[in-house]
Amino acid sequence: MLENPTRIGLLSFAHGHAHSYTESLRRRRDVEVVGVYDTDVARGRLAATRHELPFYATVDALLAQELDGVIICAENANHWPLAQRAAGRVRGILCEKPITTTLADAQAMIDRCAETSTKLQIAFPVRYAPAVRWLKTQLDADAFGQVYAVQTTNHGSMPGGWFADPVLAGGGAVIDHTVHVIDLLRWLWQTEVTEVYAEVGHGLLHRGLAIDDVGLLSFRLANGIYGTLDTSWSRSRNYLTWGDVKIDLVAEKGVVYVDAFRQHITVSSHGAGKTRWEPWGSDMDQGLVNDFILMLRADHAPTITGEDGLRALEVALAAYQSAQSGQPVTLPLSS
Amino acid sequence: MKRVGIVGAGNIARVHLAGWQRLPVEIVGYYDTVPAAAQRFSEEYGGQAFADLPTLLNQVDIVDICTPAHVHKESVLAAAGAGRAIVCEKPLARHLRDAEAMVEACATAGVPLFVAQVVRFFPEFAKAKAAIDSGAIGKPGVIRTTRAGAFIQHPVFSNFDLSGGVILDVGVHDIDFQRWCMGEVERVFTRSLTFAGIPERDHALITLRFTGGAVGHIEVSWAGPPRHWRTRIEIAGDGGLLEWDREEPKPVTQVVANEAGDGHIRTELSPLAPDDDPYAAELAHFYDHLTMGTPLRVTPHDALMGVKVGLAAIESARTGKPVIIAEFDERE
Repeated sequence: MLENPTRIGLLSFAHGHAHSYTESLRRRRDVEVVGVYDTDVARGRLAATRHELPFYATVDALLAQELDGVIICAENANHWPLAQRAAGRVRGILCEKPITTTLADAQAMIDRCAETSTKLQIAFPVRYAPAVRWLKTQLDADAFGQVYAVQTTNHGSMPGGWFADPVLAGGGAVIDHTVHVIDLLRWLWQTEVTEVYAEVGHGLLHRGLAIDDVGLLSFRLANGIYGTLDTSWSRSRNYLTWGDVKIDLVAEKGVVYVDAFRQHITVSSHGAGKTRWEPWGSDMDQGLVNDFILMLRADHAPTITGEDGLRALEVALAAYQSAQSGQPVTLPLSS
Repeated sequence: MKRVGIVGAGNIARVHLAGWQRLPVEIVGYYDTVPAAAQRFSEEYGGQAFADLPTLLNQVDIVDICTPAHVHKESVLAAAGAGRAIVCEKPLARHLRDAEAMVEACATAGVPLFVAQVVRFFPEFAKAKAAIDSGAIGKPGVIRTTRAGAFIQHPVFSNFDLSGGVILDVGVHDIDFQRWCMGEVERVFTRSLTFAGIPERDHALITLRFTGGAVGHIEVSWAGPPRHWRTRIEIAGDGGLLEWDREEPKPVTQVVANEAGDGHIRTELSPLAPDDDPYAAELAHFYDHLTMGTPLRVTPHDALMGVKVGLAAIESARTGKPVIIAEFDERE
């Protein structure tokens, strides 16, 4: 451990990414992971034991440990209540996506962090996938001429638990996966979504599921590009991998296909009873965590802002509105 | 800050430099038997061009030997004598006696020796090893790897007496990876083009038996079409199977108009984060070994056995008979 390590607290392990972020923090020599708090005591204690960290029974007890930053991996609806407690007591917050479940909460989080000079970074790790970074470099260099259309997918398996709880999650597959890809598109082209139309399905893939498990969004960007996004929880438990992020471009100079995580060995295991793809590509969560720690240590502005989190959420909420009305929805939404 | 000096200012030295530049080290300079080569590096990358090896050794903590294998010995022995930590390109040596002398000299002098058997740092290969270690395929019983490219006319590599041909120069990678996964080699049998007298072609199919009872197959080739490059892994155990093939779809595929605008070029890419580049990762690993005591992933023994099994495979190709590793001694 270096002198003056950056001290990080972990607020909730509701989202499984907390484990990966913890391991990424641990790989750095300039970080001290101070401890765990969780609204669910049993879940928090289990995580604390697994990572050999102290568990704090109250959020204030953990925040009293002179932390530089916290990572919030609570249920979506609990992001803002935890951020509210942490803002002003740490220099930076890394908040799991989606930022919140409502635009009002998202704006409140952004405002509170601004008032208390707390840096707010939203966890959109796919920006750190090397293939996506390659695409960003190419687009910045105008390598493909005019881009006409973009077809995207962010498939996954059905996570279950609170992810299927409308109050805690704010929605199902649409809110879960829209925000990742919309963030990428806004970042790749420094643009905004101006209109979205969506077909949303409930229980189409998981019989009896009360929340949406299928989402097809059709959108237009301010730069003139049109596109679609499939957010469906369509990867069965027996599938080769958890899901994907794919971005296909049709452009003036040709076509480009990005399949961000297509780096794996294929492992067929008697023990597991199935064949799986085991990934070996660069760890994007490490890239996200590195960026967060660098932000705290070098005291620079967040690269993924609360505003980025809010704009991505807004598209997911607009998709639900469109599915309800059967009509395209214009953005920004009036609050 | 550790000071690094590079011996041999050629292509692989450029790759190593990119890796060193990511680490908190000072690149002091370069020595090459061709002074102009060292001078060119000095101008391109900064640092000094040294007129002789002892002067370079005098000013560094780490020596990175990027010369061809047949001349490694002189630099390694000098660096060991000067007490410097050593990175040496693969294979450790062209001949067994030289490899043994180098390993012994480094052990006697107590200097760290890291041979850049870089395949252990390719993430797909490291993942395969990790999958075995996790028990996902049970006890491995048969391993197959391929490393196939085109013949390139080169003053060293295409001269068998200097390089050992495709079996030693390329095969050392697969021998090392297979030993890493399966343990020590009991015997080796080879069929190859190495002594077939076919100009500008070299290729070998190598069969291994490991001391633990498992078997291995290696294809190494300099007989493919121009710009051809293929690697693959298949490992079967009593609890499963793992596979990887470079021909599989990659994260990026593009079909984009060429510069002249009279055609399109298809490109496939498999990008990694800069720290995960295998050549950067192997040097970072050695740096961690020196600064934090991280155990070496490639030991001097691994480097020695890479040479020994490679030379035994050549011997088998020459004689048409299997060669027992424990009984093997190179005819020089």
